[in-house]
Amino acid sequence: MIGYLLRRIGHGLFLLLGVSLLVFLLMQAAPGDFFSTATLSERMSQETVHALRAQYGLDQPLPVRYVRWLNSALHGEFGYSFSYNMPASALLLPRARNTLLLTVPSLLISWLIAVPLGVFAAWRRVGWIDRLYSGGTSALLGMHDLLLALLALMLALHTGVFPTGGMSSFSASGTLLTDWKDLLWHMALPVSVLVAGSVAPILRHVRSSMIEVLDSRYIRAAEGHGLGPLTVLFRHALPAAANPLISLFGLSTALLLGGSLLVEVVMSWPGLGPMVLEAILGRDMFLVVGAVMLSTVFLICGNFLADLLLYVFDPRIRLDA
Amino acid sequence: MPGPLPVSDVLLRTQRLSLEYTGADGSTISALRDVTLELQPHETVGILGESGSGKSSLSHAILRLLPPNGKIISGKIEYSGEDILALSRRELRQVRGAGIALIAQEPALALNPVLTIERQIIDVLRAHRRVSKQEAMEQTRAMLREVGFTDPERIGRAYPHQLSGGQRQRAAIAQALICNPRVLIADEPLSSLDAVTQAEILELLEKLKRDLHLSMIFITHNSGVLSSLADRVAVMREGEIQACGTLEQLARGTDEYVRALMFPEKNIPTRSSSIASLAASTSAEPLLRLDRVSKHFLQRRFLSRNVFQVQALKNIDLQIAEGASVAIIGRSGSGKTTLARCVAGFERPDEGQILFSGSRSNDRSEIQLIFQDAGSALNPRFTAAEAIREPLDIARRLSFPQRQERALQLMEEAGLDSAWAGRKVGEFSGGQRQRIAIARALAAEPRMLILDESLSGLDLPLQAQILRLLMDLQARHGLTYLHITHDLNFLPFFADQVVVMDQGTIVETGTPATLLESPQPVTKSLVAASERLHVAGMEVAL
Amino acid sequence: MKNRGKLTVTAGVLVAVHLLAVIAGFIAPYNYETQDREHPYARPARIHLTDCEGKFHLRPFVYATSPRDGTVNDYQEDCSRPEPITLFISGENYLLAGLVPTNLHLFGLRAEGRVYLLGTDGFGRDEFSRILYGAQISLFAGLLAAALALSLGMLVGTVAGAFGGWVDESAMRLAEIFIAVPWFYLLLAVRSVLPLHVSPLSAFIMVVAVIGLLNWGQPARLVRGVVLSGRERNFIQAAEGFGAKRLYLLKRHLLPMSFSVALTQMAVLVPRFILAEVLLSFLGLGIGEPFPSWGNMMAAAQQYYVLSSYWWMILPALAPIPVFLAYHALADVLQEKLQSTI
Repeated sequence: MIGYLLRRIGHGLFLLLGVSLLVFLLMQAAPGDFFSTATLSERMSQETVHALRAQYGLDQPLPVRYVRWLNSALHGEFGYSFSYNMPASALLLPRARNTLLLTVPSLLISWLIAVPLGVFAAWRRVGWIDRLYSGGTSALLGMHDLLLALLALMLALHTGVFPTGGMSSFSASGTLLTDWKDLLWHMALPVSVLVAGSVAPILRHVRSSMIEVLDSRYIRAAEGHGLGPLTVLFRHALPAAANPLISLFGLSTALLLGGSLLVEVVMSWPGLGPMVLEAILGRDMFLVVGAVMLSTVFLICGNFLADLLLYVFDPRIRLDA
Repeated sequence: MPGPLPVSDVLLRTQRLSLEYTGADGSTISALRDVTLELQPHETVGILGESGSGKSSLSHAILRLLPPNGKIISGKIEYSGEDILALSRRELRQVRGAGIALIAQEPALALNPVLTIERQIIDVLRAHRRVSKQEAMEQTRAMLREVGFTDPERIGRAYPHQLSGGQRQRAAIAQALICNPRVLIADEPLSSLDAVTQAEILELLEKLKRDLHLSMIFITHNSGVLSSLADRVAVMREGEIQACGTLEQLARGTDEYVRALMFPEKNIPTRSSSIASLAASTSAEPLLRLDRVSKHFLQRRFLSRNVFQVQALKNIDLQIAEGASVAIIGRSGSGKTTLARCVAGFERPDEGQILFSGSRSNDRSEIQLIFQDAGSALNPRFTAAEAIREPLDIARRLSFPQRQERALQLMEEAGLDSAWAGRKVGEFSGGQRQRIAIARALAAEPRMLILDESLSGLDLPLQAQILRLLMDLQARHGLTYLHITHDLNFLPFFADQVVVMDQGTIVETGTPATLLESPQPVTKSLVAASERLHVAGMEVAL
Repeated sequence: MKNRGKLTVTAGVLVAVHLLAVIAGFIAPYNYETQDREHPYARPARIHLTDCEGKFHLRPFVYATSPRDGTVNDYQEDCSRPEPITLFISGENYLLAGLVPTNLHLFGLRAEGRVYLLGTDGFGRDEFSRILYGAQISLFAGLLAAALALSLGMLVGTVAGAFGGWVDESAMRLAEIFIAVPWFYLLLAVRSVLPLHVSPLSAFIMVVAVIGLLNWGQPARLVRGVVLSGRERNFIQAAEGFGAKRLYLLKRHLLPMSFSVALTQMAVLVPRFILAEVLLSFLGLGIGEPFPSWGNMMAAAQQYYVLSSYWWMILPALAPIPVFLAYHALADVLQEKLQSTI
């Protein structure tokens, strides 16, 4: 067990290192850096710009800069933001927390909806249920996140029931309970949009995995031995479907991270998304790198969690490890 | 069949049962037509037929276990006087497993991979009987012992992937019989097992039949297996019952199809003894010679660091004369396939040398290997002509029209209609695909053919046909054959020389006649297994 | 055959949609940059068959509109100026499919008449025409990017699977690293290092290149899997036994196998990449003004006052829906076909 865990953690660290190198290398392709725009201004002389560059280490060769950044990352700083004049992590971590505030509940709710529905749709493949399933998922799949986000905004504007953006109201300075209520009120629309966007793909995968299990020889053999339908479904089919279902977990995490970026921008939720955008437009490279790394960390964690669950639920993996 | 028996004497009966499958495009295929079958208490009825004859459909129909696209369109099924087709779902569930139990083909697929063996058996037991967990566990352990496991605690806690093929079949049998059903339907329970294991399972079924007073329906394509087991046999062909009676009655009957099914070896000409002696006496130099050949493999367990060595071949000495027909027999894991692959050039021996036609070179293009599974040996997207043409295409010595013509020639020689040359390989049946593989091998103009269990997956009558083809080809082209097999089917017909392997070494060599009398333990167990299974053609050698 | 029917229908729908996009200039009554300063944020035109007096006309027509006094961007119909809709009318000059200069349009009004089927935006540009032109950009950006990603993926995957050893190991590790990043973040990161303000053509090429080149990982893994399992199959070993060299195996066996998998992937990736282009343009990092991409048109709709008062501005968001549905249906059918041949 420990060996398996360590191997998966090692793998994750390798990926993180590789990603950091990749992203860093990509950033180097940038023609110019934060201070390039400064050179256009007449108020700064070339010497000042050079001095600033030297101060931030931007004139060093690539390997040196990478190692310094790694060092900074290990110290929890993740480099420096030029626009805000503070260590990148100070800006990124609160934003990361806000992104998690959206993605984690969305993940849980999507799964809570998609898994039972998918299992049911696979179990009862009767005419009208099947048509309902096809129609429903097709409709949802066609509606992309951007459309859903804009529709949600329209809803907020026209009905005034939900806030049109942001994470908290100005007046939310009362008790802990009212603060929480206010937060939930602001979370409602973005989370709904994310859930609506990810339920359909997850549901489809759940259904097809369940169908594969339910059509298998061993399930038919179980029916042949006279086991009741509920026993077959819950004690025999679901455990066998655990493997493909858990593997979906990584997929859905990736889906939600991508979707959350957009939703945060459109609905003005102060997460990693708007920060990345701002950093890109302002050429604040360390912020960009840091944001990408953080989102990668979330995805790798999601996959790691899936690996862990697989170990617990699939005896084939547990015994061979 | 003789006139209908009084109702009270019949345990299970199907009456004029007809069954249809609906394809994806709406067309229907008739799988069963007016099938009438009766099973008396304590009787064993064998159902003999080739693939596609409807035997599996019958077994599934009896328990109403058809896939969604299958439908019973007419007829009745009665068990113990009750009309099965009229039962409610709850009543049907009571019959399944406790009244009639079904053991399907390929036991590996019939066991749930994520549940322990005992859990799967206990679930069946508790679905039908009210027992406490403790009692359920005890009865399960008792059943596991009954099917031959000496350590039921360990086996019970194991998962299917940790057991061997034979063990899985025993576990599946235990699961089927845990509720003491009155009827057991065994649908080809011996497929995908090697000969010795087959004999063991057969013996187990006979024992259980006696101890548990079972009535059995035994479905197979191998008539030899039925001779010790079945009281009566029904022969099925294309969805209908062609004939019915005891084995003696059927043997004496005049129906050609039935006789071909029961005595497939009649189809095979005996290998001309003159050719055999010619092969033995000519030239001192053998075509193939192995000197002290050894090979080992490194195996790594999945996701683990440990590697351990598996000795596949140990000091193999072998000589094969040109024109000879040599059989290499042994159980799974005896090293025979590794030997075949080394001879064919797919693997290199770690020690020793392999001399082909006197030369030590690694160019073995004059040796061709026919694989066990023709399905994976041919690219399913190729047409038959493209597949057969492939050796010629690669060599590029002839023009395209010449190559195509040669391919069609070979196709006809292999017994296939060259008009089908444009069909995709995937559209042919298993036996036809094996013929395509043989034609393809011939296109390479080999001197030696290695048949690596090439007949194992086929129905017995089909095996006989292909074997007959092979013997014709051998006579016509002067080929040398190396047959790798795990059972002794038809052995005396085609083999001059038999080599027995066990755990990587050659245990014994001889002619089929000498082998049958041999005192060597490994050989004896193989021969005993074959006798148990009443393997086709054994009587010829005796 | 039910499946074959489904295949032809979905493929047909997609071909039709793309064809429409190619001849967008013909179907659109106006060019994408033609501004009507007197009618910003005009409502979708109301097409009448009966006039103000209740008389029925055979040919559909619209009323000219003029601004309502005392309001901003609100227009009223002028019953005295009916404008009939004419088919195959000469209008503005444009290049059909970017090649053929012509001025024939499918429908329009004579002279100064204006028919805005789906309303206008803040600059008075016809939304209907812009959505059609936007289709050209968004649909083909997705298609080309998918072709790029798949070609690269097939190349790497086939080589990795065929050669094995360290080539395979390193290629797959690299692919894993690319896959490990949430793809849209990676997209943004790479986009960020490229110049922000470029010509629309460069922007298009850049968008296609970035989306295509960054997404090679998953196709490469899939193709490599197919090639690896193919190598295990005995027919490869048999061919080697006949003396086949690696090049022959690749050409004759492995590449065709990976091709069918790649095709199925195509149907999955294209909608995703269309969406990527739309999102990039929406964020201002893709195709920019005045060229209409569905994305930058949606960006204009993001303003609160637009969303609350001018509902037709959200219509570009609906445009991708039929395209996505068709691609998803196609992917389903291809997937089933693939399963049955394995």
